[in-house]
Amino acid sequence: MARIALVTPDHFKRADERLCLEARGHTVVANADVARSLEGILADPPDLLIIQKGLHRHMDQEVILALKNNLQLALLPILLMVSERDLAVGLDWASYPVDDLISEQASIEEIITRIDLALSRARRVADNNPLTKLPGNSSILKTIQSMLEQAEPRAVAYVDIDNFKPYNDKYGFSRGDEVIRMVSRILVNVIQEHAGAGGFIGHIGGDDFVFMVPLEKTETVCREVLTNFTALIPLFLDEEDIEAGCFVSKDRQGNVRSFPLTSLSIAVVPCVPGHYSHYGEVASTAAALKKKVKALEGSNFLIDRRRPAGD
Amino acid sequence: MKREEIRQRLKEVQSLPTLPPIVSKLNQMVSDEDVTAVKLGRIIEKDQVLTSKLLKMVNSSFFGFPQRISTVSNAIVLLGFNVIKTLIVTSSIFEVMQASDIGLFEHSLGCATAAGLVAKKLGIKNPEEVSTAGLIHDLGKIVLRAEMPQEYELVVETAAKRQQYMREVEQEALGIGHGEIGGILARQWNLPERLVYPIEYHHRPEASPDYADVSAIIHFSDIVIRALGFGFGGDKWVPPLDHQAWSRIKLGKTQMRQLLEELDEKLMELQDFTLDIQQDKKESA
Repeated sequence: MARIALVTPDHFKRADERLCLEARGHTVVANADVARSLEGILADPPDLLIIQKGLHRHMDQEVILALKNNLQLALLPILLMVSERDLAVGLDWASYPVDDLISEQASIEEIITRIDLALSRARRVADNNPLTKLPGNSSILKTIQSMLEQAEPRAVAYVDIDNFKPYNDKYGFSRGDEVIRMVSRILVNVIQEHAGAGGFIGHIGGDDFVFMVPLEKTETVCREVLTNFTALIPLFLDEEDIEAGCFVSKDRQGNVRSFPLTSLSIAVVPCVPGHYSHYGEVASTAAALKKKVKALEGSNFLIDRRRPAGD
Repeated sequence: MKREEIRQRLKEVQSLPTLPPIVSKLNQMVSDEDVTAVKLGRIIEKDQVLTSKLLKMVNSSFFGFPQRISTVSNAIVLLGFNVIKTLIVTSSIFEVMQASDIGLFEHSLGCATAAGLVAKKLGIKNPEEVSTAGLIHDLGKIVLRAEMPQEYELVVETAAKRQQYMREVEQEALGIGHGEIGGILARQWNLPERLVYPIEYHHRPEASPDYADVSAIIHFSDIVIRALGFGFGGDKWVPPLDHQAWSRIKLGKTQMRQLLEELDEKLMELQDFTLDIQQDKKESA
């Protein structure tokens, strides 16, 4: 479950509170020395931090701001433990950019509920790509890893927009974002329709996506994704480029260069139980396959056939 | 009610009602497990109100494709089944369906069919888009009918009594015609200009600032479908054909004969669907 760091020198001393958290499968990390425990948090970030307001030398404020300003840790949920008096006086949320608060008087039930809520909220939003709202890398890794441990044969497919850079260079980033959103909507809708809850889509970043479907749906899903992409992409291109059949632009040396129009490539790795034990192996097979499929002209998908299913 | 007042009123129009039988048919389909977004699309693309709502949604800033999507099939690919389902479940209907509502529905559907055929004949790249423009060209009439029912009734009655075109009476009584009203709404809903201009200029296609070819096709199709007596466009007169617009289309005698034959066949097919709708009306009455 979650690793919960406590920086609450004056609270959570009772053994039953920790026991309750641990009974729910959480790991509780606490150190009597405030400075030491804060150091530990930055070195090995927990999944959630509970910090008491009013620590010595404004250390609480410092730590909260440091965490929230750190790009990798900004999404770590922080719960601030406050006194009734703090609540009466009011808090300056700009200097306490926390996610929730816990009153010192709160019952153990309330504390646990707030922790669960904060964790579930973090799982919902933290990893999602802001442009497409699709799960990002850590969810992708977790989902694919847990799929590898299951018995059903699945396919993991890597989707990549070809010639996206010349598209962005020519039309600008905001139109580039439209194409990324378009691809994400196509993936979500096709996979939802064919695989329902048995499917998964993640946004690795930029123009890279990954999806997972039951093995027997692979070809149908890939075909439909490519058909839909081919139908829509002309709406995102200028008439003159469609007519020319390529992007024409000047490189830094002023030489006129032409690039093929934007297309879509999908590299599919079938995952039959036992073939792969780790996500990294799937990713490396995919990387090799991706080179091949991207070398083909236009929109294509390729399925890795090197290890026939069931061997 | 005058022009400015109407323009103000339009700003508040978020959604329009449509025919009860269509909505109930779609609601039935939605509860069927085997239904797909594509199947729902085949019904939606026959109804001008649902089609415009679908396009409004996909071109909204929330979905992030402003003024880019102009056909039902493309909208469906982007919105997906769940969104379309929500759109159907939340759509509003005319509380009292009049014969003229079905008439306008048929007229719009007929115009869409004709426009699609003409676009194909002329080799226009995206005939489905032209067909969509044909379907929603009278969106302004729905706005009048739903939002200003008294004015709408007055316009229809006056047009019949004085034997005038509806748009002439609208200009005189309201200071604004249904073309402009539809255009304002379509623009407000972020629809692509390729649809906005044909809606706005279907009675004077040569004034269309862009996509004059599409505006000309819609203008022509509107006339053809009235001349064939399919549906009811609000008045029973066939408007004159704009010569410049015709010179953009200029189908030869053989092509024209072919077009009318194909159109006839398609309209027969459509009749099955529209009879269904009317049958449902009688049953629910």
